[in-house]
Formats: sequence, structure tokens, C-alpha cells
Amino acid sequence: MSYDTVVVGAGLAGLTAALRLSERGQRVLVVARGVGATHLAPATVDVLGYLGDTQVASPAASVPVLISSSPNHPYAHVPAEQLETSLEWFCTKTAALGYAGNLDENLLLPTALGVPKPSALAPRSMSGGDLRAGGRFVFVGLKGFKDFHPTLIADNLNHARLPNPIEARALELVPPSSRRGDLSGRVIAGGFDTEDLIDWLAGALEDRVDPDERIGVPAVLGLRSGDATWQELEKRLQRKVFEVATLPPSVPGIRLSDVLSSALRTAGARIVLGVRAVGARAKGGRIEAVEVVNATGTVSYPVSSVVLASGGFASGGLELDSFGATRETVFGLPLIGLPNTDRVRFAPHYFDAQPLATAGVATDDQLRPVDASGSPVYENLHAAGAILGGATPWKEKSGTGTSVATGYAAAEAILTPAPTPVSEAVR
Amino acid sequence: MATQNPSLSSLEADVLVIGGGSTGAGVARDAALRGFSTILVERRDLADGTTGRFHGLLHSGGRYAVKDPSAARECIAENRILRVTAADCVEDTGGLFVSTPWDDPEYGDQFLEGCRATGVPAEEIPVAEALRREPRVNPGIRRAFLVPDAALDPWKLVWGCARSAEEHGARILPYHRVLDLEVDGERVVGAHVRSERGGEEFRIHATVVINAAGAWAGQIAELAHCTVNVRAGMGLMIAMNHRLVHMCVNRCKRPADGDILLPLRTACVIGTTDVFVPDPDQTEIRQDDIDLLLDEGEKLVPGFRQARALHAWAGVRPLFEDTAKVAETRDVTRSHALLDHSSREGVAGFLTITGGKTTTFRLMAEAAVDAACEQLGGLRPCTTAQVPLAGSESHTLYQISHRLAAREPVPQSEEIICECELITRSGLEDTIKQRDTTSLDDIRRLLRLAMGPCQGGFCIYRAAGILHQGGQVDQAGANQTLLDFLEERWKGVHPILHGDQLRQARLDDWIFQGILDVEHLPV
Repeated sequence: MSYDTVVVGAGLAGLTAALRLSERGQRVLVVARGVGATHLAPATVDVLGYLGDTQVASPAASVPVLISSSPNHPYAHVPAEQLETSLEWFCTKTAALGYAGNLDENLLLPTALGVPKPSALAPRSMSGGDLRAGGRFVFVGLKGFKDFHPTLIADNLNHARLPNPIEARALELVPPSSRRGDLSGRVIAGGFDTEDLIDWLAGALEDRVDPDERIGVPAVLGLRSGDATWQELEKRLQRKVFEVATLPPSVPGIRLSDVLSSALRTAGARIVLGVRAVGARAKGGRIEAVEVVNATGTVSYPVSSVVLASGGFASGGLELDSFGATRETVFGLPLIGLPNTDRVRFAPHYFDAQPLATAGVATDDQLRPVDASGSPVYENLHAAGAILGGATPWKEKSGTGTSVATGYAAAEAILTPAPTPVSEAVR
Repeated sequence: MATQNPSLSSLEADVLVIGGGSTGAGVARDAALRGFSTILVERRDLADGTTGRFHGLLHSGGRYAVKDPSAARECIAENRILRVTAADCVEDTGGLFVSTPWDDPEYGDQFLEGCRATGVPAEEIPVAEALRREPRVNPGIRRAFLVPDAALDPWKLVWGCARSAEEHGARILPYHRVLDLEVDGERVVGAHVRSERGGEEFRIHATVVINAAGAWAGQIAELAHCTVNVRAGMGLMIAMNHRLVHMCVNRCKRPADGDILLPLRTACVIGTTDVFVPDPDQTEIRQDDIDLLLDEGEKLVPGFRQARALHAWAGVRPLFEDTAKVAETRDVTRSHALLDHSSREGVAGFLTITGGKTTTFRLMAEAAVDAACEQLGGLRPCTTAQVPLAGSESHTLYQISHRLAAREPVPQSEEIICECELITRSGLEDTIKQRDTTSLDDIRRLLRLAMGPCQGGFCIYRAAGILHQGGQVDQAGANQTLLDFLEERWKGVHPILHGDQLRQARLDDWIFQGILDVEHLPV
């Protein structure tokens, strides 16, 4: 079977690129080692939350500032209109989760430590936690659920700097006996899918929450049924309810991954997990086939285009060995953001700027990885997501935004190649 | 636990012990068991100096059998005692000495002869048998010898001594720094101390002051205008994320750098190096030393550089030297030194016990308290070779599966807060209460919280939440201890960060900064 495009990586960037290509009629194969970091992260789309130490109120206004100070940033290769188009497209494709928000104003959503964190978009089951308007909040913990600490959340929010005053408190509920013990959020969410936990939760909350309080619960309201459960809870309680993302595995992240994966399969693409792309067969500056190792050996997939969305160090797209050498693990691409010394020395304080924080591949405006001279390594290889250098997404709060924008932009570059410059055509 | 500051402006005791490592805790316990009123002060947490930073080997004596026979004899004697009296701190892993392709196989004959002469049980086994027992060890080894080495948990050991001392009336005061010694004429009569947590200052009057400050003993002695020449020999250790070996594996050659790899609870540790440092508080880890340990590890266990290195740290050995300068610290004796400052400098009521090694801490304590007895009205017999430590009363040797076994009967009974080290919620809550601490780092040392592969990525948020919910700290305190923990952890993580552990560290960055946004916590 031959494919138009092979996408390496099944995280947010890979799924975005693959879905965009599939819906435009390409035959797409996604190969990945696992389900991708989408399962670990909150499902918010964080375009830009911080510029240095300054909290960003409007990503639309601040992304150009970021690009001018960090010309290697992945956003530098995504035109402003395309950033906006990509988010609109994303909201359409994930309509089942009802993403709210826009590029002009960041939401401020509470983290599981009670820190107000800026996000451009959030699923509607989470967006009700927006703290900007102030008001009264109650955070509800489930006794025995170790990954959510409502007292600390409430206390921290009462001390947080916010545009309008808020008043937060904590409440702890004792779940039914079937939902006690050493449980992960994923297991509790499974309970909302299969048991009548809504009755229990709505009943337990009814008399204990004031009419003007917004109710924050851990993001465990169901994997398949999450959005429906949330809607039902709001209806029954007649109050705003919102989920708060907590430690991995992330239930809203799994929902997002599932929605995109199933849209992708519906569009005719094939997703193969548990395999490893290990290189390319190339000729004349083009990748002709991608080499993939599966359980039986190495398979060679002939392709027209490739999207590399293998992630950064966290996902195995980049690797630092014990001798101090950093490499891109699939195609051995040239990297930027490496220290000038022959040996990496991390900075002695955790929150210092760390070497390798911005390591990754550099690209041209078609998101094609380039070498030191700025020329594409392969004419038909594009990169998206955390493999791109020039950003510190966990500090900037720009990870998911970058994945959606560059995944979409890489697909567009494949679908609509830029006209070849005259000089190159002559050469 | 008497970890709060005494509200009194002065305390009285027969014996004041300075230093809360294995030696100091051992001395305090020994003195308390002999019926002396005893107080121990330690400037930081117990076992936070040399003891908590050593590799964790309970020596059989094999390592010293050729070079230092008297040390070897002491080691095997203490090894046998600690297996009984400190059973809960000892895992009977056994030890293996191997001749790798880089080692002279004939040294094995000297080794066997040294062991025979010093009474260290050693038995040569076929190479195939050694490789059957330790499949990851270099298949190129040419000889292999079994010895009764074991793994020793330093924190359990020191806390076991401290609790045992408290049961016999002693007061144990971690986070209390000695500001000055009080000298009356030609006699040390006590110390002026400050609580490092509360800031209060007070005096402790004692008939005998025992300086058990290890590598810092010279600094303490100076306060009484006495001289103790202790050199700080820095040794580097690296913890790997699982047990590459199940026995303590030593190179069969003269002791050198990076020649021991031993299992310690769920991890294994390679050690060590030996570099003189002028200040025991300045232990910078050098890349060259890291590379040396990784290369030596590769010789013992091929593939070592691809295995996952969790954490690197340096400890300082107190190396006592009474004579001229010695260029190489490894040539300084590993036997301990007991100094009576009345005979040396004419200062009575003041003893220094230093040098030595954790394996022989009990013997050192015995010698120090014997000497103290002379100034306290006559010898009282030492019982520490017979009486078990707190926690070791059943004489059951620690096994790696203990925590799992305790949980297995009711697997879903409660939350596991730290999956790496199988720490339950009630276990954590009990420790917080018992220790009466608000520091996640203190809890780490007691429970091994966050010492596993994820280095606290998951458990530290949980533990901070539990600490706060229990009312031990307000939100600012919870935030601060979480941030302090991340900073403290990084010290050990960053020198060795590569491969899969960098992958883990980046996931932890995403958790703490991307998901929880700890950088913008209100503190």
C-alpha cells in the first residue's frame, strides 16, 4: 500500500497535520511509538501565556512581539492569518468537545495547584473555570483521589493576583465504595462512562453549594461521556461547573486524542502505533520512502511527503547521549539551540535558563527542516510540534498552540507548495 | 520526636554529642543506653552530611583485606553485629569480587590470602556461577569471589539510633547549629547553639562534649582552640534507576575509583572517587568524575552508559591525619581516631571521634563513650553489640519486597502516593506527624519519597497537597517547600542528565511548569 504522506508521531501536531491532509483527499499513514503527549497534557490550546515574566493577555497581540525577539520561534514560520485559521479549523474538527475562547484574549484557568494559567482555547467542560471575571468558586475533591488537592487550590487562588476579586473554598466528597482505593483519574473517568456516578455527584453537591458559586471538579468526568456528563451536571445543578486538569494521564487530553484519531480514521487515514520510524531512503534531495521498524522487521513506505512530528526530548524525538551528543532520532536532522561547548552543562538552579531548552530543528517558511545554510534538508520533509527548535513551550505556555498551528501549516505547505523561486529553477 | 526547639534558655546533660551522622547518632545511643543523660545537636537534618551521602555498602572487610588488615577485621566483626542489631537497615545482598579484563587475575590470590588472614569469609566460585547469579556483569570476568557484603540504609540506621537513644531519655535536636563551645578555664563545659528552624539561641551544659562532626570535626575543635586535622575526601556516587546487580559487585584489585556497584533498595549505586577538597561544604561535581564512573560502570556491566542514571551526589569522607601532609587521600588510614583533648591540648571534658567508616560506626561510638566514662565517674559497660536498634527488634533483615508484602493483602486499600517507592498515604501522613516537619526534603530522607525514577514528578504535588491539607503548613509554606524541593532535587539531577532520564526530566518540566505552573505560585 502506498501513501501520499507519512506522518511520524501521533501527538497533537501529528494528528492535526494528518487530519488536515486526509480531509483534503490525501492517503495518509501515521506511524508512532505510542499515543503521544496529548494523553499527558491538559486539552487546552495554549498559544502564548508568558512573554518572559510577563503574563500575556492577548496572544494575537503578543505573538508578533515574541517573533521579533525570537526569530527562530516556530510561530515565525506561521503567518498570523494562518495561525487564526488553524485554530478555527481545530475548533470545527473538535466540535464534540466545544472549544471556547479565541486568539484575542487568553482565558485564565486554575491549575491543580491553584495558579491562574493563560490559555487561548479550552474545551467547554473546562472553560467555565475562567477566573478573569472574579466571583465565588468551590473546588471539589474526591476523598482518596491523590491527584487533586482542592484546599491548596482554593487557598492559592485566594492569594493569587487576579483582575477581579475571587473567593474560593474547598469541599471534599466521599465517592461510592466502588470508586475508592488507589485510583487514577482515568479509572474514575471510566466510572462516569459505565456507572451512574452523575446521580451520586449531583446529589452530593446539590445542597452544599451556593447558587452563585462556580464548581471546579477534577477533570475526571468521563472519557467517552465527558462532555455529556458535564452538560448534564450543569443542567441538574443549575450552576456553572468546570473541570480542572491535573497530573497525567490527562482525561481531557485522552478525549482530545480520541476525537482527532477517530476523525482521522473516518477520513480514511491509517494510524499504526507501537512502531518506530528509523530513517529515510532518499534520492536527489527527496525522501522516497520512510523506514519503519515494527514487530516483524523493517518496512519501507514509499511516499510523496513526510511530516516529522516526533516531539522533543520528552517524547523521544530528541536524545542526548551520555557523551554529550544531541541527535534528532528519526532522520538525524541538523539541530539548533545546542550549546556552544562540546559538553552540555545544565545550569545549577532549576528555574535558570537551561541549555537544550530551545533545541530542535530549524525550518524554512514551509516548515521544512533546514541545514546551517538555510537550505531544506529534504524537499518533501516538513516538521511540526515539539521537534521544532527555538521555543521553551512549558515556560511560554505555547506547546499545544504550536502543535496545532505548525501541524496545520505543515499540511498546508504540502497541499499548496510555494512556487519555486526563479533563481532555484534556473539553477 | 523532640525536633522542636527547647523553650528553655539552657539545658543540662552528662553528654553533649555534636554531629548527627552515624557516628554521632551511635554515640548518643550508646551513652543513653549506658544511662547517661544525653543531648545530640546537628546543624542540618540527621544523616544529611557524610552518612546520607555514602554508597551504602556494609563492608565485609574484603575491600581492605590486602591493604589494611586491621580495618578488614573491624569490618567483618561489625558486619556480623549489625546484621543482628540493625537488621531492618541491612539487606543481605551478598558481595562479589570479580576480576574484569582490566584487572590482574593473580591479585585474586592475594585477595584470598588477605581475607583468610583477617577472618573475612571469601570463597572463589566458577565464573559461570557468578554470571548465573549476576547476568548483567561483564561476561569477560576471569575470576569471582563471594564475600558477605551487604547493603546498608543510612537513613534508617541513623534514625534507628536516634529513636533508640530517645527511648532511653536522650534528646535529639536536628537543625541545631553549634555557634560556640563554652570553655571554663581548661575545661569545655557546654555549647551555645541556635535552632536553624526557629532561630532561638540557648546553652547546653554538659560534663563531656563529644565532637562527632566527621569531616567538620576540625571546625568544631577550633571553637575550643584545639586542633583536629581532618581532610575531606570527596567521593562521587551515581544512582541508576533499577538494580543492574543484586549483589554488591566489587572489582578484585587494589581499591580505586569507580570499582563498586551495589544495589540499594530499588536502585543501584556506583561509587566512588576520592578527591581532596579544602571545604567539606564545597563539593562540586566534575564532569570528568562522572565520565570516569560511567566508564568504570561500563567495565563492570556492559551497556552501563545506556542505562538510566537518576542522580549524582558527592559525600565527604573524614580522613584523619595526625602527622605530615599526605598527597593522596586514599593513603590516609580508614580506621577511626579518638582524640582526648585533655591529654593532647590540656582541654578537659572534650573528646573528638572522627575518621572511620559507616560500617564501623558502632565500634567508634563504643570507644568514644568508653573514654567519656572515665570523665563521668567510671566505666559502665557498652551494650550496643547486643541491644537491637529501634525498628530492628525482630532481627528480621530488610528485604526489597517488604513494602510490597505489607500492601499485598489488601491491594486496593488506599492510595499509593509515591509509586516508585510504594509509599502509601497513611505511611506519609504518619511520618509527617511523627517527624513534625514541614519539609518535603526531610520526608524524602525518611521514606525515600521521590528517590525513584521519576524523581518526584508525580509524588511531590501529592505530598505538598497532603502536607497542606493536614494543616502542617499554610499555602505559602506548601508552595515554598515544593519549590525548595524542586531546587534541591535539581542539584543531584543536573550533573548526570542524559538519555532516558533527560526524557523524564522534560516530562517533569511539563508537569511542574506546563500543567501546574509552579513558577507563578504565590509565595
